[in-house]
Amino acid sequence: MKGKGTIIVTIGAMIALLVCVMLMQFRTIEETDIEALETMRETELRAELSSWKTKYEEASKLLEETKAKISEYEQTMANNEESSKLLKEELNQAMIKLGKTDVTGSGIVVTLKDNDMAYIDAYDLYKLVNELRLAGAEAISINDIRITAMTDIKWIANGLIRIDSSPVTSPYVIKAIGDQTYLESGLTLKTYGYMDYVIKSNDKTGVIERQDNITIKASTVDMTFEYAEEVKKQ
Amino acid sequence: MNKTKIGILLGAVCMILTFATCIQLKTIAEANKTASGSFSENRLRDEVLRWKENYDIVYAKVQEEEKKLEKIRKKVTENDESATTTREELKTANRLLGFTDLTGKGIEITLEDNKLQSVDGLTTGNIMDYVVHDDDLIQLINDIKNAGVDAIAINNQRIVSTTGIVCDGNVVRINGEKVSQPFVIKAIGSPEGIMGALTTLGASLDTLQRLGIVKEVKKSNSVNIPKYEGVIVIEHIRTLS
Repeated sequence: MKGKGTIIVTIGAMIALLVCVMLMQFRTIEETDIEALETMRETELRAELSSWKTKYEEASKLLEETKAKISEYEQTMANNEESSKLLKEELNQAMIKLGKTDVTGSGIVVTLKDNDMAYIDAYDLYKLVNELRLAGAEAISINDIRITAMTDIKWIANGLIRIDSSPVTSPYVIKAIGDQTYLESGLTLKTYGYMDYVIKSNDKTGVIERQDNITIKASTVDMTFEYAEEVKKQ
Repeated sequence: MNKTKIGILLGAVCMILTFATCIQLKTIAEANKTASGSFSENRLRDEVLRWKENYDIVYAKVQEEEKKLEKIRKKVTENDESATTTREELKTANRLLGFTDLTGKGIEITLEDNKLQSVDGLTTGNIMDYVVHDDDLIQLINDIKNAGVDAIAINNQRIVSTTGIVCDGNVVRINGEKVSQPFVIKAIGSPEGIMGALTTLGASLDTLQRLGIVKEVKKSNSVNIPKYEGVIVIEHIRTLS
């Protein structure tokens, strides 16, 4: 009698365990977005992988920096002067990211020109800006007008383009600071790269040049929010 | 006593059975995967998941630390007027960089492939015309910027100073992350201003509408745009001074 009881209990426990394992398996499968991944090919997967790796590395770096800042503030807690210095440095970094400071560094200079067969149009410029950003450009300017997050490029007439509120004309000199190899190879991919697909195949004129001491001026645009309000979290 | 032994034995057998089932389930999953792709692809898939998880964990930590940082900033600027001003300026700069959730009036545009591949029975003969491409998004975003808006997002990917848009197979990658259709483009700004910019000569909305890939254009009094969930890296630029 006692033995039977034990057997039943043991079997019961085992069944419970089995159910648990199965439920766990189902949950893991549900949580991971396997279906989206399933349909991806190897090259796409490689791109996806390197993209997440980069994002991870960037976030890790940011985490270290944030931690370092906290401990710096903690050390200067008693000293007002020191802590306001830290605060100013933080603001300075944010202004650099916003494009509100003159910057210098190595990168590439792309020159696009109108020719007898075709005009450079607004698309050629904002597509180029997009391609440069994809290649990791950290600062971009066109004819010395700084391109920021919300800069707009507009076609006005053949041979005349407006960037923010300034008119620009050929030759268009696009400066970009970043990793020279990435920037250049990002534009010069065969057939479907920017230089082949957008410029050459449309009979337009463009050249790329690597330069080591590129200077890009600060944005002169007034940046303020007119309509947006911050969402306050509870 | 003997019966207890039997019980233990049975238990052990059950245990083995459990493991066997687990292994089987796994093998079946593996077998199915191998059928749909090569072994190295499966390994890549696992890797992708692992790195995405790694990123999520680190990003959550960053959020936590940033809250701490803001608290400590507040503490050190207490009773110090000029430092408080600097702190406010820093907050404003971070808001402009795209690091906060925003709300306000604006518009929402939805783009989706035109599955009929024709409009009113007429077709251009090129099925690619009826598919939403990266270039359609790039042009539309530029047109919206013409209106001078505060913030833009595509499928909740915030458009910031480093954002690139690119086709990747049959999906689009924005800020390095995959987004797929329907594409919902949200912008905070004057709804009339944006509509004006979208309907001006040379703007792309009209062309997209004629191809039937604009599903909806809607003015709204409360457009919600999430913050940029990434990092803006400065490695190659130096300031002049």
